[in-house]
Amino acid sequence: MSQTKSLNVDYNYTVVRLFAVTTVMWGIVGMGLGVLLAAQLYWPALNFDTAWFTYSRLRPLHTNAVIFAFGTSALFATSYYVVQRTCQVRLFAEKLAMFTFIGWQAVIIAAVITLPMGIGNSSKEYAELEWPIDILIAVVWVSYAVVFFGTLVKRNTSHIYVANWFYGGFIITVAALHIVNSMAVPVSFTKSYSVYAGAVDAMVQWWYGHNAVGFLLTAGFLGMMYYFVPKQAGRPVYSYRLSVVHFWALIALYIWAGSHHLHYTALPDWTQSVGMVMSVILFVPSWGGMINGIMTLSGAWHKLKTDPILRFLIVSLSFYGMSTFEGPMMAIKSVNALSHYTDWTVGHVHSGALGWVAMVSIGAIYHLIPNIYNQGRMYSIKLINTHFWLHTIGVVLYIVAMWISGIMQGMMWRAVNTDGTLTYSFVQSLEASYPFYLMRFIGGCFVVTGMLVMAYNVVKTIRAKDGALEPVAEAA
Amino acid sequence: MMDIATLHSIFTVLVFVGFIGLVVWLFVLKRKPDFEEQANLPFADDQKPKQQQKQESDHE
Ligand code: HEM
Ligand code: HEM
Ligand SMILES: [Fe+2]
Repeated sequence: MSQTKSLNVDYNYTVVRLFAVTTVMWGIVGMGLGVLLAAQLYWPALNFDTAWFTYSRLRPLHTNAVIFAFGTSALFATSYYVVQRTCQVRLFAEKLAMFTFIGWQAVIIAAVITLPMGIGNSSKEYAELEWPIDILIAVVWVSYAVVFFGTLVKRNTSHIYVANWFYGGFIITVAALHIVNSMAVPVSFTKSYSVYAGAVDAMVQWWYGHNAVGFLLTAGFLGMMYYFVPKQAGRPVYSYRLSVVHFWALIALYIWAGSHHLHYTALPDWTQSVGMVMSVILFVPSWGGMINGIMTLSGAWHKLKTDPILRFLIVSLSFYGMSTFEGPMMAIKSVNALSHYTDWTVGHVHSGALGWVAMVSIGAIYHLIPNIYNQGRMYSIKLINTHFWLHTIGVVLYIVAMWISGIMQGMMWRAVNTDGTLTYSFVQSLEASYPFYLMRFIGGCFVVTGMLVMAYNVVKTIRAKDGALEPVAEAA
Repeated sequence: MMDIATLHSIFTVLVFVGFIGLVVWLFVLKRKPDFEEQANLPFADDQKPKQQQKQESDHE
């Protein structure tokens, strides 16, 4: 039923379908939670004086839901799809692949239950989940690696396409990051203490946190980019050589930059300087990759006018470029002295998260859904276009609000009178940020509305009779 | 006995040399057609020209 006959090979699309549909679902949940957080920052009464509805408990739920439920489901779906199609072979260990789906959803549901209850390690951002869930994550992840690399091993092609290199790098690194950072001594079923302490704990945490950005939110989604951009554009990637350099340069550099999250802390000074220098160098391969993706369209720019899926993919790359320009700048210690703790960081995060990660995933899912459900195209191209504009407007509102608010906060916090006293109290800076929190809330509403439009379009496509949706005629 | 800083320095130099080696291999030693074939992998399992498809099914 779910095995689609492609030209030469029977691909297993069952797991791909499940992950693709849950991507959309968790996208709505995770981003909906983001909107709720944004609303709570503007209308604090929205926590209803209920412990499990407080900002501090819902915030990690948002980050876990968008990164591990939405983003990672998108990575599972696309990696299983891409590895089969570029290796021209059916998935290895299909039962295990099904286990990764069930196991991963169980992890997410456990997060949805425990985080609002206040169970978790709140000192480890993006790794809050308690040790029993951590063990399940590790088991699922190792299974994922077995399925993915097993498929690579039994491939029918002589080469391994570059997208798979990025996916592979992401899978291996995330396993290592998760296992090392989660080392803890349990004291009960719901409580544990990290084996690391003090400055070492901080360093391990941000080695994890930074490389989760580098390998999950970046390398994984670059794997997506290297397949879906060429595929949607109908032409091979601009420079295959450049993509190989891009891969090795990212792998070699990213690992060393994590200390930019710990500027002016108890971390040794030289460690901070290494992080700063490596971050600035990281700009080069990042932009190399972005240019490689965008230039894939050279000679076919007109396709952007008619194809909103391609527009999602290409605009995601420009946000990737923007956040990888902004990041190295914020990693410079004197700039970080201004930006750290402010909304500028939050703006940077979401230009990467909503601009790059979400847009490239949305584009990839729009490409993938018709292909795995035996259709020539999505139910409505017009609605994809509507989604594109809703999302773009939402992201721009969000990022601009945070830039203004963030830089203003930084300036106000450091302003001193001639006698050395602070010019502004904290509350004064909060008041100044207030209008921008409303602006972010409105931006978030645009984004979530777009996701709902997507869900409708996806359901309509899945429900359509097999092959009923004819492919759009090529404009050539 | 070597100290940790020396080891790190050697490692850094090795990584750097490896990277330069990679670039030389890619742009000087390897031939372009190899990469063209690889870059076309996403399209390799697409609708092939009718004739080719027929031939393939003959083999099955
Ligand atoms: C409708 C869309 C979204 C809205 C309205 C939203 C809103 C928010 C808000 C209000 C915060 C808390 C900021 C603070 O504490 O000052 C936050 C944090 C965060 N969000 Fe989102 N978000 C959205 C989508 C996403 C997506 C798609 C991702 C990732 C793929 C993401 C990743 C994060 C991360 C990593 C943080 C923590 C940032 C930090 O600690 O610096 N968000 N978000
Ligand atoms: C060359 C690339 C990049 C560099 C050098 C970089 C650098 C930085 C710096 C300096 C910070 C602020 C640390 C602080 O003051 O606390 C930061 C925060 C962050 N960046 Fe980036 N960034 C890059 C790309 C990206 C991308 C593409 C994404 C998302 C997809 C991303 C996601 C984040 C997140 C989630 C945080 C917040 C971490 C936290 O405090 O919770 N970054 N980045
Ligand atoms: Fe970082």
